[in-house]
Amino acid sequence: MKRIAIDPITRLEGHGKIVIFLNEQGQVDNAFLQIPELRGFEKFVEGLPVEEIPRVVTRICGV
Amino acid sequence: MNFEPRIVGFLCNWCSYTGADLAGTARIKYAPNIRSIRVMCSGRVDPVFVVKAFAEGADGVLIAGCHPGDCHYQEGNYKALRRYLLLKRVLPEYGIEPGRLRLEWIAASEGERFAQVVNEFTEQVRGFGPMNFKDSLLESMKNDVMIHGEPETQATGEQR
Amino acid sequence: MKLKIAIYWGAACGGCDVAILDTHEKILDIAAAADILLWPVAMDFKYADIRRLEDGYLDVAFFSGAIRNSENEEIARLLRRKAKTMIALGSCAHTGGIPGLANMYGRDEILDRVYRSSESTVNPEGIVPEERYMAGTDEELELPRFYNNVRPLDQVVDVDYYIPGCPPASMQIYSAIGLIADDMLPKKGSVIGAGDRALCDECARKKGEKTINRIYRSHEKVPEPETCFLEQGFICLGPATRSGCGSRCIKSVIPCRGCYGPLDDVKDQGIKMLGAIASVLEPKDEKSINAILDTIVDPLRTVHRFSLAASILRRKKA
Repeated sequence: MKRIAIDPITRLEGHGKIVIFLNEQGQVDNAFLQIPELRGFEKFVEGLPVEEIPRVVTRICGV
Repeated sequence: MNFEPRIVGFLCNWCSYTGADLAGTARIKYAPNIRSIRVMCSGRVDPVFVVKAFAEGADGVLIAGCHPGDCHYQEGNYKALRRYLLLKRVLPEYGIEPGRLRLEWIAASEGERFAQVVNEFTEQVRGFGPMNFKDSLLESMKNDVMIHGEPETQATGEQR
Repeated sequence: MKLKIAIYWGAACGGCDVAILDTHEKILDIAAAADILLWPVAMDFKYADIRRLEDGYLDVAFFSGAIRNSENEEIARLLRRKAKTMIALGSCAHTGGIPGLANMYGRDEILDRVYRSSESTVNPEGIVPEERYMAGTDEELELPRFYNNVRPLDQVVDVDYYIPGCPPASMQIYSAIGLIADDMLPKKGSVIGAGDRALCDECARKKGEKTINRIYRSHEKVPEPETCFLEQGFICLGPATRSGCGSRCIKSVIPCRGCYGPLDDVKDQGIKMLGAIASVLEPKDEKSINAILDTIVDPLRTVHRFSLAASILRRKKA
């Protein structure tokens, strides 16, 4: 099984990698998109004063 | 093994440090756990000093100043009071028992009182147990390691 | 001789990269002065391209984003080897930034909330990301390790310079690149692209005697347009924050939250700010002081909004 990795994927916001497995005939056996990033906004915004939320969650994406 | 708390004490020059000194000259016994630091005024105690003390191994921090109205610099001890009360609210957010920080007004003549406060506070902190800040931080980071090892100096250029 | 640079991101939002792009036509000056050999947001270079370079081949690596997982650390160390100069770009790399707020929690709590308990998640088997996964025989997938702690860049590699801000002002990034191109960088470890004084120095609002008896949340009253926010009872981190941003939040009628980081020689921006708040409150007796302190909601995460990971205590004690 040959493995091709496109790491990182580019020209977008965020982290990603694509892994493609080829069989002996050189045909695609399987392909995966993986997102190797996580910051946990869902958890750490808990308990913040509601009026501060817009100033925090705008940092999820700066694009 | 009995845990001996390490207490850092910020004592103001004019009142509480002098009071501590009086305890010494009067041969009043008090717990040896306190490490005293003389500041000119309790108002000099930046909250950063308190936090740094805990980070560097203190199990308890005492701030001692002049009684309200008696501050050598008029208002310094009021600033200390406000900072102390604010820190008492912030320390638990960091996961630190607020009882590990204490503020007392101790006059220059109050040697006995100084000894009593130190003894009481030492026992109170003994009850909380060691702060162990450095150890707990290292413990929280023990699995925060790269799983693919240090990046090689020269790569072969083949895709992984 | 063109500079050879890399621009990379750890636990980031892309805002610092957009700030570079927001130099608009000046990006052409940057492109004229430098060859960019890695910039995932804009160019198609791969990690393998960086790995095959000689150590020290790059002149500068700009790293934005915090160190949140093993891949962020790996690439930070890789770039540190491959570049002569490493620059922490933006609040996250400088002081941990907004992602640093996750240091109030641990890895398991975060994974559980994100992948299992959050209301819009459908994950009946409760699957969380794994470092190794066999997708089929001979088909192994890997993911980086999600760390328990967030770290700013200098807790992981030796950092030469910091360009602070969330994001750094575009023209400040441009001036910083100018310093590099002209070989006029100050001493190692300096903050560049920002001022030496506190934001209050730059802020146009009028400052007078501060006698505060109540703290207001930003929605509790309409601020007077010309008076200092702190004086009006709004928590503003201006006194503890470096200038250089152009006071853009103040000009948008919201108080500062400290994204430009601490001033020189300050070990803990947030705790320093606590001291400042305590200094300007009016009352002198415990009861009245406590009454005002009751009006300060969420003090820790307000004064440490961008700097929790770089604070002396770094995280909530486990």
